[in-house]
Amino acid sequence: MATFRLPNVLNEVIHAHKNQLIRPIKPKNGVNSFVFPCRKIVFNYCERSGSSKAILEYLRKDAIQFAKNNPQIEVIVQPRPSRHPVIRAFYVNGKHKEKCVRKCSADEIPEVVKSLRDHSGHRLQRWKQYVISDTPSVRGIYSPFHVKEVHQITDQKPQK
Amino acid sequence: MFSTKSFSRFGRATALALENPVRHMASTASTGPTSYAALEARLNIKFKDIGLMERVCTHKSFEQGRLPSNDRLSWLGKRALNLYVGEYLQLKYPNLVPETLQDVQHANFGITSLAEVARHFGMQPVMRWKSVSKDAPKVGLTKVLGKSVQALVGAIYQDQGAQMAKQFVHQHIIQSRPIEVENVVELKNPKVMLRALMKQKNMEPPVARILKETGRFTSSPVFIVGVFGGSRMVGMGYGSSLKMAEYRAAKDALLKHYAKEIKDIEIEGDDADVTFIPQSEIDGVSARTYN
Repeated sequence: MATFRLPNVLNEVIHAHKNQLIRPIKPKNGVNSFVFPCRKIVFNYCERSGSSKAILEYLRKDAIQFAKNNPQIEVIVQPRPSRHPVIRAFYVNGKHKEKCVRKCSADEIPEVVKSLRDHSGHRLQRWKQYVISDTPSVRGIYSPFHVKEVHQITDQKPQK
Repeated sequence: MFSTKSFSRFGRATALALENPVRHMASTASTGPTSYAALEARLNIKFKDIGLMERVCTHKSFEQGRLPSNDRLSWLGKRALNLYVGEYLQLKYPNLVPETLQDVQHANFGITSLAEVARHFGMQPVMRWKSVSKDAPKVGLTKVLGKSVQALVGAIYQDQGAQMAKQFVHQHIIQSRPIEVENVVELKNPKVMLRALMKQKNMEPPVARILKETGRFTSSPVFIVGVFGGSRMVGMGYGSSLKMAEYRAAKDALLKHYAKEIKDIEIEGDDADVTFIPQSEIDGVSARTYN
């Protein structure tokens, strides 16, 4: 391949933008430090309607303890009159999840809150590759060129 | 039943807030004192100054700079961050030239990279800033996010001291991501550079030899070429032509030298080790009072 000489001006332009061509590397959650994925949970309820009875009981009993146990989550209680109760969770990757709890009993609501809290925020998808890694194999991928020659096909007969 | 006040009696330990009734689901206030308390807890920081996190997340463009903003904190934080990153890179890559160290730092710990760190922390919905133009409300977000991470480091430095700032930088910024060096090292003429490098190291001039080959006169040959300094192989490369394989071998040799990284490094000069108390006092041999 002959060395391709570009005119100097173009070289300077490329050099000036050299580092901008590199895609910034994203932090890996869990390597050396962990950032909790759920950042905010909003409880929308109605003061008067019947479907909100269970969530009102939850808010009276368990909500404050939940907020105390999870200081990293912003817990917001927001009345939404004449609507069914909804619990919304917002995640660090920009995604959000909602669960309407109109049919939930008082026992089920803490489980809903827990499942929303424990969600990572990424959409549920079918993975084709179960292990994704920058360093796939500790000893490197096998290459026939890097093995000590144990078997050789030659013209010579084996010496006795 | 609930009054519309935030639960301040829990202090900063709890981020619970009550908001005004809404009709539409989308209208929830995106920032408030609770979001900053939650951000602090998410990053395991406990600022002595309560309003500091809010200041870190406020860019000067917000409200025409009338509110306290993060520009001074980001000035200090940039220098603290670059110091800790610099001493780490200097120990980790012993063969890199200062210009390349600067490039590596810029590529991996510059504003663009720090913006990714800010997104990872969840600072984007919490930032208070304003774009230059109304039509493009997101222009400038990367720079604002990058500066806010610098401001965060500066705030920790100011509030909790150098040791905590260094710990934070190492935990969340340096060691939670892989560092890219090979794309940053500039190797314009690898064969010429290799020859010069080997002369500098008093090695024999480089000689390229074919190690393996296949399909020489076909449409898809593969050559594996090694570059040798004397009898020692310095680099190896593949290619569909001999010239390309030699080029890659030279590049491989240069990368092995320049991008060599040391796996376990110990950074010396931590504050905890430095003391001006003489050893006799520490041992408790003589008890003295200083006036």
